[in-house]
Amino acid sequence: MIPQNFEYSAPTSLKEALALIAKGDAKVLAGGMSLIPLMKLRLAAPEHVVDLSRIADLKSVHEDGKGEFPGGALHLGALATHFEIESSALVRSKCPLLAEVASNIGDVQVRNVGTIGGSTAHADPAADYPAGLMALEAKVHLTTAKGERTLPIDQFIVDALSTALKPNELVREIIVPVETRGTGFSYQKLAQPASGFAVVGVAARVRKSAGKVTFVRVGVTGLAGKAFRATRVEKLLEGTSGSAADIQKAAAQAAEGVDANTDLHASADYRRQMTKVFTARALTQALSRAD
Amino acid sequence: MKVGGSYTLPLLRQRAHELLQDPAILARCMPGCEDLKKIGPDEYEMQMKVVVSAVQGLFAGKVRITDQKPPESFRLIVEGSGKVGFMKGDGLLTLVPATVTTGVSILGSEGTEVRYEGDVQVGGTLAGVGQRLLDSTAKMIIRKFFEKLAEAGAETEQAAIVP
Ligand SMILES: Cc1cc2nc3c(=O)[nH]c(=O)nc-3n(C[C@H](O)[C@H](O)[C@H](O)COP(=O)(O)OP(=O)(O)OC[C@H]3O[C@@H](n4cnc5c(N)ncnc54)[C@H](O)[C@@H]3O)c2cc1C
Repeated sequence: MIPQNFEYSAPTSLKEALALIAKGDAKVLAGGMSLIPLMKLRLAAPEHVVDLSRIADLKSVHEDGKGEFPGGALHLGALATHFEIESSALVRSKCPLLAEVASNIGDVQVRNVGTIGGSTAHADPAADYPAGLMALEAKVHLTTAKGERTLPIDQFIVDALSTALKPNELVREIIVPVETRGTGFSYQKLAQPASGFAVVGVAARVRKSAGKVTFVRVGVTGLAGKAFRATRVEKLLEGTSGSAADIQKAAAQAAEGVDANTDLHASADYRRQMTKVFTARALTQALSRAD
Repeated sequence: MKVGGSYTLPLLRQRAHELLQDPAILARCMPGCEDLKKIGPDEYEMQMKVVVSAVQGLFAGKVRITDQKPPESFRLIVEGSGKVGFMKGDGLLTLVPATVTTGVSILGSEGTEVRYEGDVQVGGTLAGVGQRLLDSTAKMIIRKFFEKLAEAGAETEQAAIVP
């Protein structure tokens, strides 16, 4: 299929890109894995496409000792591809959960081109990153021609396919904490066979001390309109010894009070059940990796 | 596709029922509604521009209200089509007095729970490629509608009380 005519710009600086989108009816293009098919089907017909791929500023992946998180932070430029995040030595050692999530996205072709900024801005309710970003309590750094702001991921993603992004605003980077030593992590997903998107996906981080679970974070994607932190599960597991029975009891609450999605691939009940199963798996593996 | 759920508005039942039939309020609260005209008793014509992430669709359609039992219930029938596809929805809205727990208005905690139950059919390109996202998107649009309605309701209440 052939998209409708559109104007195309490929600025080389962030400033230029921001000035172009401030004019209105422009869509930015990152990896194009979501945008291009929509344009070909004419479900999206922007008058102006602003390609970000030549903006070096948006590609940086680096560590920052101070700032957003007490233990230091990793800054992932919006254009960092899933493959770059999955294979980066820095991400693998400082925030291994994120690398594990990235390695679970789609197939190798999609991971080579798709970007963390594009995935986050698109806010697909079945995307993988949001589960990890919720469990990491990540932040999203946004910028316009006029200024910058940083939002917690939970406030950035508003609902299915909707975010707090304003039309003249770009995702500049995603900020995640440098993981505390000894934290166990895991991302477990039930993939939809055709696309790889999550029917449900669960990311977990845990810490133990003197035989007790001291810290639990659980992020769930695919179940509801937006990814969320399963705080009931976290509270139930914290303070226990983390036995198989403790995990089962906590994981049983993973879908409680959630308005679950239904589609051709999975009914709401099945999704709820799978969320419990995959939460238990993620917690089990995360605990086995914690020390 | 079945849709169902409920939303509690910080409004008395009579008021909630009136707002749900007020074209000016509906036009303001329906996400992307660009024009809503009354074309007959309980019948409206509308234009909607739905923008969901990168997807944009222009829909022209009709809204009909039947089975009026004010202030308890009514049936809402929506039909629309555009280049990207078509949609048809048919739902029963039931209004039940309820206690508001969040966003309590100056009227106190008396509110109305609006329960909706219905069937939505979506066809065309939109449905062909978007199956996976139809349910969550429909729910998102319904939630946005009620959030805006609660907001609009609170404003009109304020305007009525504070001269
Ligand atoms: C076959 C296939 C399988 C897939 N499987 C999975 C999967 O298993 N799990 C998963 O999570 N994802 C999956 N994806 C989606 C993939 O991860 C995409 O990379 C992602 O959805 C969009 O990223 P992108 O860089 O391609 O963005 P684009 O398609 O270029 O853009 C997507 C949207 O985000 C906006 N945007 C992009 N960058 C920015 C920015 N910096 N600031 C503001 N707005 C921006 C664009 O305007 C557009 O609206 C799959 C995709 C395909 C095609």
